[in-house]
Amino acid sequence: MKLIFSFVLFTFLFGCKSEKSKYTIAYASLEETSIARFPEIQESESYKRGKEVYTDFCITCHLPDGKGIIGTFPPLDGSNWLSEKRKESIHAVKFGLQGPIEVNGENYNMAMAPLGLTDQEVADVLNYVMNSWSNSSEKPITLEEVKAIEK
Amino acid sequence: MKSNLVLLFSTAIMTFSACGQKDTNIETPETSIDYEMVVDGLKIAWGMTFLPDGGMIITEKSGEIFHFKDGEKQLLTGGPEVYQRGQGGLLDIILHPNYEENGWIYMTYSSAEGDDEGGNTAVMRAKLDGTQFTNKEVLYKATPNTTKGQHFGSRMVFDKDGYLYFSIGDRGARDENPQDITRDGGKIYRINDDGSIPQDNPFVGEPNAKEAIYSYGHRNPQGMILHPETGEVWVNEHGPQGGDEINVIKKGANYGWPVVTYGENYGGGAITDETSKPGMEDPIHYWVPSIAPSGMAYVNTNKYPSLQGNLLVGSLKFQYLEHDVMNGKEVTRREKLLEGLGRVRDIKEGPDGTIYVSVEGKGIVKLVEKEIEKTQE
Repeated sequence: MKLIFSFVLFTFLFGCKSEKSKYTIAYASLEETSIARFPEIQESESYKRGKEVYTDFCITCHLPDGKGIIGTFPPLDGSNWLSEKRKESIHAVKFGLQGPIEVNGENYNMAMAPLGLTDQEVADVLNYVMNSWSNSSEKPITLEEVKAIEK
Repeated sequence: MKSNLVLLFSTAIMTFSACGQKDTNIETPETSIDYEMVVDGLKIAWGMTFLPDGGMIITEKSGEIFHFKDGEKQLLTGGPEVYQRGQGGLLDIILHPNYEENGWIYMTYSSAEGDDEGGNTAVMRAKLDGTQFTNKEVLYKATPNTTKGQHFGSRMVFDKDGYLYFSIGDRGARDENPQDITRDGGKIYRINDDGSIPQDNPFVGEPNAKEAIYSYGHRNPQGMILHPETGEVWVNEHGPQGGDEINVIKKGANYGWPVVTYGENYGGGAITDETSKPGMEDPIHYWVPSIAPSGMAYVNTNKYPSLQGNLLVGSLKFQYLEHDVMNGKEVTRREKLLEGLGRVRDIKEGPDGTIYVSVEGKGIVKLVEKEIEKTQE
């Protein structure tokens, strides 16, 4: 009985406070979750600039952990679309994306408006995304590669 | 003893449910609201307004402007040149209150005008000659330009005295802009219909002030209404990972961003522990977690009895239409309408009372209230 009473008391005292901290736990920081398989890419200027682009343009939907929201915003972390469709990925970041796609077996049909990034920023943010969290890609995206992708 | 336990537990549960505005508080609707497609084939219809002839003008974020009437969609030309980056684009569109006499149409958009690289929010008025915009006048252009992709605002309303209000978000510079009245961004502005500044604006005559500012300390307001009964301007604005707000706009008031907020940094970490401070306005409602509100409508019509006198707010994040049952300035009940509809960008009540909702990637739909079937006892 005493135990139950203290639980109730605890609820009274801390019931409201828990709200903020819960989210802190839910979203681990960007660094913690990434695996440095190709340190030369993660230490590159392109990757560093790409992280800033990500924070500016991508984070609100794809979230800090790159996991997106299942069924709404496709994940970038562990995305088969990203790892298998290099050209399409560049195209999507360069010109936006519309219409249905399938990522890790889930269907997505949302519009990603054109972001208005420079070709260099497209390369940078892709280098960030493709080498963050559990993602790793040996071959960095180059400016030339981005330039070559046409609408 | 047993009843004591039950009492204790239920008290505990009540305490839990009373404290947060967690999304467990949103309820399944008591009403039966459905929708029908009106304008399809749109990408991101950011704004819409209704012409006296029964037509509609629609702004696409990409910069295209469409006239829609009797099922026909026609492209209008000569609109503002838009700086395409991030959340920027062609934004809101409204008519002058005396549109039938003067023909003025107002648009907000992100603009690269000026010498420095990047863009910032601008307000333009223009007239429509056939399918062509003419007489274009830029009434306001925020400075400086920046290549930041976030927080352009921007919704507009005219109040009952004919002043034009519009919003500009903090432009991704939360520590520089919102609390500084000598800088643009993070503000609600008030100007005359020709772009001149009302002499009774709160910061007129203050050194270096942007005199069009009406209130400050905002983050990114993307919903704005004129409350038809009180005549007040209400806005909703995005918080950071929590702490979206509805605010009633008061002259010269500070709404606290980023000094006070219910939100936190993306990726975790507190911005501030404070949610309230003397000299700063509290929101009349806030959302934790964020729903990412865009668009807002006060339901004036009696066409939808269950919605009348209440607010509708779009959720970009959770893809539904939120029905906020109001008692004065208090949200007494939240309902999730049309779950899974898509990212709701804008909501407007048309001249005949029909409520139109713009859904990203889909188009514009109208709400239909269905008779609720009563089960026989």
